[in-house]
Amino acid sequence: MEKSLFSFIWKFSAKQQIFILLVTVLSYPVSYVLLELPKLIVNDAVQGDDFPRDVLGFEFDQISYLLLLCVGFLGLVVLSNGLKLYINVYKGRLGERMLRRLRFELFQRVLRFRLPHFRKVSSGEIIPMITSEVEDVGGFIGEAFALPAYQGGMLVVQLGFIFMQDPLLGLAAISSYPVQGYVIPKLQRKVILLSRRRVKNVRLIADKVGESISGVPEIHANDAAAWHSADLSDRLYENFKIRYEIFNRKYFIKFLNNFMNQLTPFFFYLIGGYLVIEGNLSIGALLAVIAAYKDLAGPWKELLAYYQLVADVDVKYQTVVENFDPADIYPVERLTADESVELTGDLEMSGVSFSGGAAGQEVTDINLKVPEGAAFAIVGPDGSGRSEVLQLAAGLVSPASGTVKIGTRDLDKLTASTLGREIAYVGGAVHIWTGTIRDNLYYGLRHRPLEQLEREGTALRDYKRRLAEAAETKNPTYDLAAVWDDFSAAGVENMQGLDARALDLLKAVSLESDIYRLGLQSRFDPAMNDVFAGRILAVRRKLAARIAGDPEIAGLVELWDISKFNASASLAENLFFAVPSDPEISMENVPELPEVRAFLKETGLDGKLREIGLKIAETMVELFANVSGDSGLLGNYSFITQDDLPEFDRITRVARSEQQRPGLTQADQDRLIALAFKLVPARHRLGVMDDAMKEAVVAARATFHKKVVATGDSFVAIDPELYLPPLTIEDNLLFGRPRVDRRDARQRIDAVIRTIVEETGLREPIVFAGFDYHVGVSGSRLSAGQRRRLALVRALLKNAKLTILDDIATGVGEEDQALRVTLQEILKGRTFLFGAPNAAAASEFQRKLVLEQGRMSQDGDEHA
Amino acid sequence: MSLETEVEALRKVPLFRGIDETKLRLLAFISDRMEYKAGERMCTQGEEGDSAFILLKGAANVIVNTPDGEKVVAQAKENSIVGEIAILCDVPRTATLIAASDMDVLTVSKDDFLKLLKEFPEMSLEVMRTLALRLERTTRDLAAARSDAAA
Repeated sequence: MEKSLFSFIWKFSAKQQIFILLVTVLSYPVSYVLLELPKLIVNDAVQGDDFPRDVLGFEFDQISYLLLLCVGFLGLVVLSNGLKLYINVYKGRLGERMLRRLRFELFQRVLRFRLPHFRKVSSGEIIPMITSEVEDVGGFIGEAFALPAYQGGMLVVQLGFIFMQDPLLGLAAISSYPVQGYVIPKLQRKVILLSRRRVKNVRLIADKVGESISGVPEIHANDAAAWHSADLSDRLYENFKIRYEIFNRKYFIKFLNNFMNQLTPFFFYLIGGYLVIEGNLSIGALLAVIAAYKDLAGPWKELLAYYQLVADVDVKYQTVVENFDPADIYPVERLTADESVELTGDLEMSGVSFSGGAAGQEVTDINLKVPEGAAFAIVGPDGSGRSEVLQLAAGLVSPASGTVKIGTRDLDKLTASTLGREIAYVGGAVHIWTGTIRDNLYYGLRHRPLEQLEREGTALRDYKRRLAEAAETKNPTYDLAAVWDDFSAAGVENMQGLDARALDLLKAVSLESDIYRLGLQSRFDPAMNDVFAGRILAVRRKLAARIAGDPEIAGLVELWDISKFNASASLAENLFFAVPSDPEISMENVPELPEVRAFLKETGLDGKLREIGLKIAETMVELFANVSGDSGLLGNYSFITQDDLPEFDRITRVARSEQQRPGLTQADQDRLIALAFKLVPARHRLGVMDDAMKEAVVAARATFHKKVVATGDSFVAIDPELYLPPLTIEDNLLFGRPRVDRRDARQRIDAVIRTIVEETGLREPIVFAGFDYHVGVSGSRLSAGQRRRLALVRALLKNAKLTILDDIATGVGEEDQALRVTLQEILKGRTFLFGAPNAAAASEFQRKLVLEQGRMSQDGDEHA
Repeated sequence: MSLETEVEALRKVPLFRGIDETKLRLLAFISDRMEYKAGERMCTQGEEGDSAFILLKGAANVIVNTPDGEKVVAQAKENSIVGEIAILCDVPRTATLIAASDMDVLTVSKDDFLKLLKEFPEMSLEVMRTLALRLERTTRDLAAARSDAAA
């Protein structure tokens, strides 16, 4: 990359910079005439004589001449400000474009780093470099040439004026410049070095914070919060020290500048005064020079500020760029090339050595040949070089010496588009992308956009603009909204085929039942697929019929019935007979909703609910007051938490006190109602719900439906004929609640649901619904095993020529064994490398290679 | 039935006789109230025990596996606690329990029960006393049986 900021600016924006300069120069005469015109208006039009005047062959009397000049003045004002506006927008846009180009270039360089480089750099450092650190650079780029040109020009004009008055005074005016020009840069250098240190320190802080966030479970599990706090606090102190020193120096420079600027008038008064006394200069000229000097301060200050800014921005640029310029970076074509060659032939490593930079990460003199279509096991414990050999075979790392070839192709010379499509690799540390299961499954097929999106009208215009802007900044022009899934690579025709294929593979690696469960637990929007919603409702009816027909099951569940109280559901569900449309709204917030508040007030239920909440709170306080917080007894009841106890203790005391005032606040009352709402009568047998109250609750449902559900969209009524989007698919299937007072009711009902789902063929659609399950940040909502299997399916979907699995399903358990058999079956006829730490799993393979301490110890050709 | 009636029933259980009412209310609250229909299985011999049962209403047959198949050896009646051994020490269930009639049962989970004992040592003492009494009786029965056999 360009080592200095100015060569970067010049390389990519020379044309634009020259254009800005031209427009700047163009504004000089306009500004000059704008200064000249008022003089003309006063001297010539207002006070002048011998009218009419002749302008361009037209005759003007005094008034119309004045009008002409004034209109001209107005026109020039508009023109001058218009020019300024134009050039400012132009500069801003140029800066933004250059910034976009710079950021993209940096990001692309990150993608071009060789894998071992990532042992030295972390995301916590890279992110601020690409985001905040280069921000100022963009703002500066537009000004880079225009500002010195403009202010420099002004300076020259004004200095010229002073010299014209008296050369000696002129010399006095610039007497401080050499000092400022020499001393200030020296001081400035120190500040620059300091800001460099500061930038690096801030980067480190970002890194520490990022690391702490991703390692938070470890911090808590090891009680290392104090250590991390101390660590960060240390860094912050370092930052403080640097900043403090920068302040000191910066303000000293400022002081020096101001002093120098004041020193010059001293010379003026002394020299000028002497000249005046001697009669060699008029007082008027002296005053004019001093006035001109005042004007001089402006541009000079601007130029100094510009100089400081250049130093600052240039340092930032260099401090950033040097991090993105490792010597062994991949050429850009490796990343951007689109043509992919077919990799046919045997995989061959000859004399391959590689070092990851630490013990146990190196291999020496590896010679191996894997015939096309063979399945090989590479055996070796961690640190034996097994992973390195597999990564070499995948083209993920490059050998230090020797060659890795498939057929006649040297992997090191191939582009990512070939390697990524022809080779599938799943290592021990899989990465799951934040997104849905579907995104992760089809990730291996999304190489380039395949089918362009049809656009019309404004959408097309917007798209064209986006393309033009991308071309302007050397960003890729790929359309993110296009279809990216490469169906043909997966060997299918369309999306349905791909889904079916994915389903097969999920079954093969026994991940399908997990996804099915996730599907049951997920919500889906019936607007997207009303056929599916209809089928769920059909199953709901079937399930209801089965429950009604079988007293055994009927006793396990309480179905929703608008005319009956459901003791296994919360009081809130019983009262509203509806659920909040936003599943994020919890019981704590419900009493605060204005429509709920109005409804409770109108039906007079608020008082009763408060009373119930109060009774619950009293019982809770009484039961748990003497229980120590760490016993965890209360923890099992999400009803109320240990932390809330003191709060409810206070509320009950206030509520029961004889004094009327100050009484309970609105928030207290809401808390009590929220507590009552959470009551599940069959579970929390507190005896606070009598039959009269139950009847009142059931009776209020109709009012709630009429007043709240029908008039707004914050609640969805529980209706046997409707799919309820806020509930999970499972809750929608079972239109009711498993009874909390029957043993294992949940599990037994789940089994019934499972059977009916199988019978009605709904299992598959539910699995597909599970495809849209959001896996959380980096797949944090999946278990380690699920993540690994998901990555495995992702790799298998690619149908790559060469499949490499490292440390996947290497256990001796039945499940892993079955998976290995399945994998061999699926990958039959394709080259397959299977890395395993132990020989047991490898014995099922055609051939195995054993690695020991980075060397091939046995090229075993024995058949296991 | 509310907490109050459950506490009344708990008071009749010998194991909890000496325990004051607030503790019993707490025990009742942290327990789950379950219904069992006649013939329903509450637990099975040999499996790991995760909860004890306090019988509020109805009775359960205590069944053990013998070489001749399952055999009813006793009946657990109202106001008794069964299955507490398996949750006090980690031994498998020593017998199968099957509801002899429709039952109301309070089930207290192992975790909660142990937490409660840890929290209130006087309760542990009471449990210990009852268990000791039971042991003493069992020992006496065993001695009697032995002397019968010898005679």
